[in-house]
Amino acid sequence: MALTWRAVVLAALGIPAVLVVPVTGTVLLWAVVVVAVCVLDAALAASPRQVAVARTVPSSVRLGEPATSEVTVTNVSSRRLRAVLRDAWPPSSGAVAPRHRVDLPPGDGRRLRTTLVPTRRGDAHADRVTIRSLGPLGIAARQASLEVPARLRVLPEFASRRHLPSRLARLRELDGRAAVQVRGAGTEFDSLREYVIGDDVRSIDWRASARRADVVVRTWRPERDRRLLVVLDTGRTSAVRVLDAPRIDASIEAALLLAALATRAGDRVELLAYDRRVRARVAGTGGPRLMPALADALSTAQPELIETDWAGVVAQVRQRLSQRALVVLLTALDPAAVEQGLLPVVGQLTDRHQVVLASVADPELAALSRQRSTAAEVFDAAAAERVGLERAAVAVRLRQRGVEVVEALPAELAPRLADTYLALKAAGRL
Amino acid sequence: MTGYALAPAPVVGDGTTARSRARSRWRRWRGPVVGLVVVVFVALLAALPAPRTSNLPLAPDSTAATGARAAAQILEGQGVDITFVRHLADVQAADGPDTTLLLAGDANLWDEDQIAALGELEADLALVDAGSAAAQLAAISYAPSQDPAGGASTDGSAVAGVAARCDDPDAVAAGSVTASGRLQAVPPAVVCFRGPDEDPTQGAYAVTTVAGQRIAVLASAGPLTNAQIDEAGNAALVLRMLGRHPHLVWYLPAPFDTAGAPTGPGVGDLVPPVVGVLALQLLLVVLVAAVWRGRRLGRLVTEPMPVVVPSAEATRGRGRLYRRSRSYGHAAAALRAGTATRCARRLGLAGSAPAPQLIDAVALATGRSTHDVAALLYGPPPTDDSALARLARDLDDIESEVHRS
Repeated sequence: MALTWRAVVLAALGIPAVLVVPVTGTVLLWAVVVVAVCVLDAALAASPRQVAVARTVPSSVRLGEPATSEVTVTNVSSRRLRAVLRDAWPPSSGAVAPRHRVDLPPGDGRRLRTTLVPTRRGDAHADRVTIRSLGPLGIAARQASLEVPARLRVLPEFASRRHLPSRLARLRELDGRAAVQVRGAGTEFDSLREYVIGDDVRSIDWRASARRADVVVRTWRPERDRRLLVVLDTGRTSAVRVLDAPRIDASIEAALLLAALATRAGDRVELLAYDRRVRARVAGTGGPRLMPALADALSTAQPELIETDWAGVVAQVRQRLSQRALVVLLTALDPAAVEQGLLPVVGQLTDRHQVVLASVADPELAALSRQRSTAAEVFDAAAAERVGLERAAVAVRLRQRGVEVVEALPAELAPRLADTYLALKAAGRL
Repeated sequence: MTGYALAPAPVVGDGTTARSRARSRWRRWRGPVVGLVVVVFVALLAALPAPRTSNLPLAPDSTAATGARAAAQILEGQGVDITFVRHLADVQAADGPDTTLLLAGDANLWDEDQIAALGELEADLALVDAGSAAAQLAAISYAPSQDPAGGASTDGSAVAGVAARCDDPDAVAAGSVTASGRLQAVPPAVVCFRGPDEDPTQGAYAVTTVAGQRIAVLASAGPLTNAQIDEAGNAALVLRMLGRHPHLVWYLPAPFDTAGAPTGPGVGDLVPPVVGVLALQLLLVVLVAAVWRGRRLGRLVTEPMPVVVPSAEATRGRGRLYRRSRSYGHAAAALRAGTATRCARRLGLAGSAPAPQLIDAVALATGRSTHDVAALLYGPPPTDDSALARLARDLDDIESEVHRS
């Protein structure tokens, strides 16, 4: 049972009556009248439980883009349904105007649309649909909340896709630059073409030139069909908020850009999200189905407040990869965590694979190391300086073991990682 | 971005019936309802049987030694209707024929007008422990020699068994009383209970009639109190004095009982009677509005919140640790190492370059003496806050000079 503003007006209409007959009995009588009218009105309302409700949502939507939740209501009672309906979603789903008025004769139905603009990655589970059925006078109402399950998967934003065109252009340059580039490991024979001035004379194919009137050079292109494994660390260091977003968000952006680039370059991409167990995995998917599969798998990846088991990561990588591949570790260059976890086992990865470690740098550390106004701040600056030195030292030790280390601010990590990938590809080190 | 999922089967109802809803509602509310019933029951139990008692001296509901509940209960048992009042206005309201007014103490009566108002009453007066009232109304003064304050003398110094020695029937009937106070009166007032060797104008009890109003004055409050009413003839005197008429107004002046008579209409009298009823009606409106606004359209939806881990938390903690342990050496070493590393990189030296080489390079780049640079980069650690801050600023300076070159 619920009341409307009309019930308040009805109660207020007793004021003139009280002014005419100013005794307590008038008030009591009026209260009884108000209660009786409300009960009667509610009793005459259509039952909110005699309504068929179905909710339809898109299976997934990209973060920040609008989606529509569609609720279909059908009046299956014999009374006219005048109701207010609420399509309830969690706050982060960003439901715009989730309340709807419906006026349905018996047997009639209607679709109600609620726009959702989600603000958080992951699965959004719809809450109940509440129906408040008003009586014929519109004074009182009956209310019921129905469980109508629905799930909207919010995919990562992939804001770094704006960097993709420029990197793809670089990739094409890489292919065409073949004649300038010396042959070497990681390149394969592409085609023969006429010599133009400036080409490396060492790439002239004399045998082919002999068969034709022109001088012909061999062109090379980077090897295709290399394997690439992206390991997303979902351990405690990924929960750290850098510039008001957890590290894992920037890592996911970087993973998506890298995967998009690599799959255009003809490489096979796999993904593993791991802390102490596998949180998400994409393998054996290629071509146009890869990016949706990656987005779907990464949408529910959330930081766990546990220490990452790097030995387990290595075991997973060895299990997945039999031949040489590029292993990209998206984690944090946290001196203590790396020294305890990754450094002892990284040798097992680098002896078979090319390893890249991509880490989200923290601008606060730099700001901290520059402040000087109070003694406490100088101590903080010293601590930040020490942490910076330790990070640099750990990065050096990783490089000594053959790991490429990429450290960048959240917004720059994705393009920097893509550039590193292109550089490795150009150098034939994949 | 992708297509709509297959439309699920519609949901009808929430799986409840009127009966199951009623049952779940009862289950949810029975605890509060039972609690409320218990509270009301206990409140009724507490309110109903217990008679009101107080600790005020000479109050008819006081069970203390200085109270007068014993006298009041005996009087009621004899059919006297007692009205206990604290304000003069109530006294005037309760006034009438066949009434005795007991003034039990006049310490709170500051105003002569108030006492004069008592003299204008229709009722007979019984003044106990009320020297100024007795003096003003009946010209009976309290003897200063024995009880100068005229206050309640209920201590054990009461003279036991003073005989009446007068012809007032009440006093004669009482025979003797324990009385400590003394009062002085001249005829036509009848003075009783004087000591054996006392002036006939002095005694513990006096009766007179002023302008048709009988005024009985008891010098001390002792005979009226619970502690002494059962001694000698105290009870007889008190009961005869207060029980002359079927009505007894027991006036125990309240502190600050200033208003002799209401000087004007109060706020309550100025407000028309409709306002109270109107307020009640407005309360009804507010209640209805509260129910209107109070009912939610469905429950609140919760959001599972992520854990917030601030990024530089560990670094700040380390800084605090340095500060608490006053590790100037560690802090300075970190700052120097940072500056040295950046300068070395800037000057094209390897990170592992030996100290003399770095010092020479920096000295060359900044134009400072090698001694200064060595003291700055590899000198002794600072020993207090200001030295550390100075070192930090100097390191900044040298770094900016290296970068400028």
